[in-house]
Amino acid sequence: MLDELCISIVISSEIRRTGCLIVVFVKCWWNPLCLMEFSELQRQSSTIAHGYHGAQQSVRLRSKSVVSNQNGPQFNWGSPPSEGGEEGDSGPPKDLRERPMPMHLKRAIREVQQMRVPVVTNWQSWKRSKAKSLSRFRADAGGVMSYVALWRKALHKIGGHFGGGVQSYFMFLRFLVVLNFLSFLLIAGFILIPSIVFRSTSTTNMTVDSTGPEVCRVYDPNLQGLVVFYQYFLDLLSGTGFMEYSYVFYGYYNNTVAESSGFHYNLPLAYLLTSVFYFAFCLICIIARMGSALRVAVATGSGAAGSYSKMVFTGWDYGCQGDRATKLKQKSIHYQLQVDLEEERLQKKALSLTLGQTVGLCSLRIFLMLVSLALIGGAFFGIFNATVFSQAQVGAEGILGLFWVYLPSIVITTGNFVVPFMCDQIALFERYSPSTTIIMALFRSVFLRMISLGVLLFTLWSQITCFKGSKECEPCQYNNKDYPCWETRVGQEMYKLALFDFLITIAMLILVEFPRRLFVDHYSCALTRWVGRQEFLVPPNVLGLVYGQTVVWTGALFCPLLPLINTLKFFIIFYCKKVTLFSNCRPAVKTFRSTTSTIFFLVVLLFGWCLALVAMIYSLAQIHPSMSCGPFRSLTMMWSIVPNTFYTLSLTTQDFMFYMGSQAFSIPLFIFSCVVLCYVAALAAVYGKSVDLLKAQLKLEGRDKQFLVKQIEELSREMGVPTRDQVDTFDTGAAN
Amino acid sequence: MGTTASQLRKDLLSEYQWRLMHVFFRAHKRFSELLSKEDRNLPTPRVPMEKVLSLPELKSNPFRKRICHVFSTSDMKDGSLTFEDFLDLLSAFSDSATLEIKSHYAFRIFDFDDDGTLDGGDLEKLVNCLTGETDDTRLTTEEMRQLISNILEESDIDKDGTVNLSEFQHVISRSPDFVRSVQI
Repeated sequence: MLDELCISIVISSEIRRTGCLIVVFVKCWWNPLCLMEFSELQRQSSTIAHGYHGAQQSVRLRSKSVVSNQNGPQFNWGSPPSEGGEEGDSGPPKDLRERPMPMHLKRAIREVQQMRVPVVTNWQSWKRSKAKSLSRFRADAGGVMSYVALWRKALHKIGGHFGGGVQSYFMFLRFLVVLNFLSFLLIAGFILIPSIVFRSTSTTNMTVDSTGPEVCRVYDPNLQGLVVFYQYFLDLLSGTGFMEYSYVFYGYYNNTVAESSGFHYNLPLAYLLTSVFYFAFCLICIIARMGSALRVAVATGSGAAGSYSKMVFTGWDYGCQGDRATKLKQKSIHYQLQVDLEEERLQKKALSLTLGQTVGLCSLRIFLMLVSLALIGGAFFGIFNATVFSQAQVGAEGILGLFWVYLPSIVITTGNFVVPFMCDQIALFERYSPSTTIIMALFRSVFLRMISLGVLLFTLWSQITCFKGSKECEPCQYNNKDYPCWETRVGQEMYKLALFDFLITIAMLILVEFPRRLFVDHYSCALTRWVGRQEFLVPPNVLGLVYGQTVVWTGALFCPLLPLINTLKFFIIFYCKKVTLFSNCRPAVKTFRSTTSTIFFLVVLLFGWCLALVAMIYSLAQIHPSMSCGPFRSLTMMWSIVPNTFYTLSLTTQDFMFYMGSQAFSIPLFIFSCVVLCYVAALAAVYGKSVDLLKAQLKLEGRDKQFLVKQIEELSREMGVPTRDQVDTFDTGAAN
Repeated sequence: MGTTASQLRKDLLSEYQWRLMHVFFRAHKRFSELLSKEDRNLPTPRVPMEKVLSLPELKSNPFRKRICHVFSTSDMKDGSLTFEDFLDLLSAFSDSATLEIKSHYAFRIFDFDDDGTLDGGDLEKLVNCLTGETDDTRLTTEEMRQLISNILEESDIDKDGTVNLSEFQHVISRSPDFVRSVQI
C-alpha cells in the first residue's frame, strides 16, 4: 500500500510540471483540506523526486501517466493492483508488498515487472479483475467494520496497558453484549411487536378459550390501583406487581391467532419457534467464534511445546507505550520466565521422588479433593433449603418480604464467593504445579456455578410439579394453588438472579474495590502491604459473565425481555469494569494466553448453554403449561403446538416432511457426512505428516551444510589456502 | 499493458485510495516534525537516531536502537532514517503487514551482532532487553543458562548452536499472537 503511494507521489511530482495535478485533485477529491495538505506535500515530494534515481523505466511511466491524464480525471497510480501481471494471481503486486525489502528495491522490481506484457485471454483478465475487485471490496468492508466496531479504542488501550489476557475478557464481554442485542431484536420482531399490535387492534383476533377445570383458569395478578411509592421500587426489583402482568413476563402474552385477509399469524407457534431459534442462533454464534480460534490453535499445535522460545521471541508487545507499561510488561515477562523455569526444576525434582513420598502426596491430594467436594455439596444443600424456604414465604410484605424473595440469589452468590476462596486455600496444600492449580480452580468454580443454578431450577420444578406427589397437583397437573401462572414465577426467579448479580457487581466495585485502593494508597502498614492493590483476575470475572448469560438463556422462554435487560446490564458492566481496571487494579503478573483463553471461555459458555437447553427441553416437553395465562394455555404440552400446526398444512407438505424424517433420507445423509468427516481427517493427517517430513529435511540439510563446511576447511588447509571465515557467508546467504 | 484505463477509473477514485492518502499524509507530517528546520530543504532529509527515538511509540521500547539500525539505510550505520526508511518502519509494524514481513524484521532486530543468526550472545542480550536492563530485573546466571539451553533445544532444528531465520520463522508460525503484538 504505502509503496504504491510512494510511486504515485513520485509520478505526481513529475506531472506537476504539466500543471495538471491540482486540477486532477480538485476533481477527484472535492475536499479543500486534502488539497491544502497536498500542496504542502508537493514541496516535500519534489525532494523525494530528486532523490529518486530516474532510471530508464521511469520515463516510460511518466509518458504513460501523462497520456492517461489527458483523458480526463483519471490518474495512473503507477502500478494498480488490477493490472495483469504473470499468471496465477493476485500474484506479483501482492507478493512484492509482502517481501521485506527496502522501498527503493521494491520500486525497481515493480518497474521490471511492469515491462512484461502479459498474454492473457479476455476471460482470464475479466476473472482476474473481478477477483481483485472482490478482494478489495472485502478489505474495504473489513476496514469499515473495524471502524464501527464497538469500543475499539477502549479495547486497544486496555490491551496496551494490561495485556492480552485482560483484553480477551473485555472482548468476550463485547461479544456477549452484541449477542444479547441481536437476540433481543429477534424476539422483539417475532413476539413482542406482534403482541403489541394484536393487543391494540383486537378486532380480527381470535383468542382460543382455554380448556380445563374452572379452578385452574383463575389468575389474578394482583393489579392494585394506587400503591405506596416505594412499592414500585420493590416491584421493580422483584418482578411483581406492575411488572408481573406486563410484556416482561410470559403471563401477559395471549394465545392469539390473528387472521385477516390472507395474513395469518399464530402467536403461540411464533413464541415457541422463536425461543428454539434463539438457542440455535446463540449456538451458531459461539461455534463460529470458537471455530476461528480453534483453527489457529490446531494449526499451531499444542501450546506446551516450544514455550520458552515462543515466550522469548514473541513475548514482547510493541504496542506498549509509556515507561510504566513497559516496566510492567518487563516485570511480567521476568516473572513468567522465572515461574516456568522453577516449574521445570520442580518437575525434575518430582520425578526423583521416592515411592513413599509419592504415595503420601497422592493421598493428601485425594483427601483435599474430597474436602472441596464436601464444601460444594454443602453449598448445594444450602441452596436447596433456601429455595424451598423462599417459595414458602410468598406473600410476606416490605423489606423482609424482599429479603425472603431474594434468599436463593443471596445464598448462591455467597456460595460462589466463599467456596472458591476456600478451595483456593486448599489448593495451596495440594502442591500442584501453578498451571494445573489454575485449571483445577477454574473447573471447580465452573462446576459450582453451573450446578448451583441447576439445583435452583430443580427445586423450583419439583415444587411446581409436586415432586413429592402431593394432592395439590390433581386438578391441573401442576401446583396451581401456589403457582397460578408458574412460568411467570420461573421468569421472575431468573430476573431476580440477573438483577442481583448486577447489583452485587456494582456494590463490590463501590464498597470493596475503591475503598481498598484508597486504603492501600494512603496508609502503609504491614496489613496494606500484605493485601496490596486489587489484581484484575480474569477467570473469576469470566465465570461471572458466563453465569449471567446462562441465567438469561434459562429465563428467556419465560421472560422475553430478559435479553434486553442483559444487554443493558453487560453494557454498564463494561464501563464499570473498565473504570475499576484503570483506577484500582495492578496488572496480573501471571498473563493469560489470549487465543487459548478465548477458546476456554467459549467452552465454558457452551456448558452454560447446555444447561439452559436441558431446562428449556424439560419445560417444553414435560410440564403442563398454565391454564390461566400465557400463549400455551389451551395445550397439554408447549411442544404440541407444532404437531397441531403441522397437521393443518397441505398433504404434500406433510408427506415431504415425513420423508425427510424417515430412514430412507436420514441414513444416506448420515453416511455422506461420515464420508466428508473421514476425508477432512485424512487431509489433516496428511498435512501433519508433510510438516514432519519437511522438518526432517531441514535437519538433514543443516547437517549437509556442516559437512560441506568441514570439507571446505579441510581442503583449504591441505591446499595451503588461508582459511576465511566461510561460515558467516553461508549463513547470511541462507538468512536472506 | 494489461487492463484498460477505464477499468482503473472507478477503482482509483474510491474511498480506499482516499484513506491511503490520509495515512500517507499523517506519516509525512510525523516525519517532518522530526526534521530540523535546515534539513527540510535537503533532497533526502535524514532524521538522526536520537530524534527518531523521541517518538512516543519508540521512546520506551527496549528494542528502539535495534529498530533504528535495522531500518536505516545510511552508509555510516548511525541509525538515521530517511522518509522511505520511516515508511518501511511504519508499514512493517502496521496491522496489514504479513507474518513473513514481521518475522523477517523481528529476526533482524533480535540479531544484535548482525551476523545473520541468533547465537547464545544474541539470545542473552534479547532476554535482558525483555526483562529489563537493571540488575534486579535480570535473570540469574544459572537461570539464564537454563533458559538459553532450553530455547536452543526447542528451536535449533539443525543443531548448529544458533537459530537461523527459518528456524525462527518456524517458532513464530506456531504463535498466533505474534502478528497482533508486533504493531505500533
